[in-house]
Amino acid sequence: MKTITGALRTRAGVIAATVLAVVLLLAVIGPLLAPYDPLKNSTEILQPPSAAHWFGTDYLGRDVLSRVLAGAPRSVFTAFEAVGIGLVIGVAPGITSVYLGRVYEWITLRVMDGLIALPFLIFAIAVAALLGNAVHQAMIAVGILLAPSFYRITRAAALNHANAQYVTASQLFGASMWWVLRTHVWSKILPTLVVATANATAGGLLIVSSLTFLGIGVVPPEPTWGGIVASDLSYLTQVPYGPVFPSLFIMATVGALNLLADAIRDTSGDYGRARILRRGASRVRLT
Amino acid sequence: MTTLNVRDAAGRVAGPTAAADSASTGPVLTAIARTVVALGRALLIAVPVLLVSTFITFMLGGLTEQDPASLVLGDSATPADVARMREVFGLDKPLLLRYLLWLWSALHGDLGSSWFSKIPVAQSIAERLPVSLSVAVGALLIAVVLGCVFGILAAVRQGGWLDRTVTVVTSVLATVPGFIAAIALITVFSLLVPVLPSGGWVPPSAGLWKWASFLLLPSVSLSLDAAADVARQLRTGMADTLHENYIVGAQVRGLPGWRIVLVHALRNGAGPAVAVLGMHVPRLIGGAVIVETVFALPGIGDLTKTAALGGDVPVVQGALLVTIGVVLISSALVNVLLVKLRPAARREI
Repeated sequence: MKTITGALRTRAGVIAATVLAVVLLLAVIGPLLAPYDPLKNSTEILQPPSAAHWFGTDYLGRDVLSRVLAGAPRSVFTAFEAVGIGLVIGVAPGITSVYLGRVYEWITLRVMDGLIALPFLIFAIAVAALLGNAVHQAMIAVGILLAPSFYRITRAAALNHANAQYVTASQLFGASMWWVLRTHVWSKILPTLVVATANATAGGLLIVSSLTFLGIGVVPPEPTWGGIVASDLSYLTQVPYGPVFPSLFIMATVGALNLLADAIRDTSGDYGRARILRRGASRVRLT
Repeated sequence: MTTLNVRDAAGRVAGPTAAADSASTGPVLTAIARTVVALGRALLIAVPVLLVSTFITFMLGGLTEQDPASLVLGDSATPADVARMREVFGLDKPLLLRYLLWLWSALHGDLGSSWFSKIPVAQSIAERLPVSLSVAVGALLIAVVLGCVFGILAAVRQGGWLDRTVTVVTSVLATVPGFIAAIALITVFSLLVPVLPSGGWVPPSAGLWKWASFLLLPSVSLSLDAAADVARQLRTGMADTLHENYIVGAQVRGLPGWRIVLVHALRNGAGPAVAVLGMHVPRLIGGAVIVETVFALPGIGDLTKTAALGGDVPVVQGALLVTIGVVLISSALVNVLLVKLRPAARREI
């Protein structure tokens, strides 16, 4: 809890949390708020922003505001999906690599090095396309590629605590490895992990928007923030401001996540206070 | 902390450094030996990485639900035709054997042929690699120049208007997806002030200026992310270094200010920036797919994307292998550069 209240006491934290709350709200109820049918074509093509169409209309006469709102869930929640997969694949080997012996450590290190060497976007595109161009396949690929950074961060944090005296002490008292991991190590690495998760979600959003921009993982008429930018691209000469509105949504969300990560990092301080931060930390991860 | 270092090094290739053995053969030889050893080590580490990552990319082809034989032959093919086609493609063999065979011929420069166009994969890649590499190298140069200039200026004038501007601009740039930066550049420099082409590609043989003009916008839009990161890291690193005692010492000795900043402080403050630059190298090569799409460049990212969407597995595998190879080589070079820059960083390789 204290992570959140601490971060929310800074101005940056408040701004970031407000923006994120709005974006999340839009992602949940955005499609219901859309004033027009986001898929319906009309004769009013490439209109500038007006009272009737706040963000104007696109080349098929579709209302851009409606498309941005309807695309919100797909643009935001897919990034969470990828980060979730990355957390699952990265964190567990990251912690256990410190405890399960040299051979296991060596293998996980090499696998993660191998994953890091994969060129991010191209690999995600290849996976998504070859496994049947769908959004979940693309997110599995992105999740796998995010895993090494989670692995490295958790491993570094776990290494810091693996040889602490109180860990040795509890081991001497006969505590099992899992008990030590659960009670001592896990709570110590959580703040680091929360910051990393917020940053990774920002990165995930950028990647998702890039993939949807390229048309990977989405079926054309369906709106996504990246996809809306792509459809405006051929009409830049008529409407040079076309990509601005969906871009602003992407940038605001990514910026707010980075800002929140910084605020949490600045206020959570050293690992020593981590135990108190535990409940608040897990709450951040859900948002 | 000592245990930490040992554990960290445990997974890596450990061994005595030749630098220590050749200490008596003179400083120049020692420096060369050190560089060679560092390069050799970095490449040695790259071998298992290359095996793991190529295996992952190869498995992709095995997991795909598309059957190339029936894709190529169309709907009217009889099962016997499909079976014969599968044999031609070598798909009747087990996956692991196919991987080993593929790796073996890849080592000899043979990456197979496209399933559809029958063009050798190595040939397609050789045609497109120069495009991607020139954009990536251009982006790297721009990132280094922009990052260094703004990073150093911000560090020297800490708290000044330039420092604050650099901080704001780098934070904003971190939120901009690559394609938006590219579109913004096109809008400004090709539509509003039409001075540069909005896309396309000419080979350098058509005239160096023309080539550079087509290269400039893609390179700049690819470099922004890396430039922002380098500037930020360099500012932090230099700001710390400029408070060291030896900087004060150099000032007391009456050395000119530019010399202190560029020679004394830069060498020690650049470590994090070079490390960050190394992390950006894979993104410059892998992220080029966005730039290649927006600017209609016939590069390797474009090749991979088109092939992947068409289900042309050999092309995807070959292009990914080459991209990974380029990434690994450039990472090794960055590591060596890091060692040259700061001898203390040697341990971290």
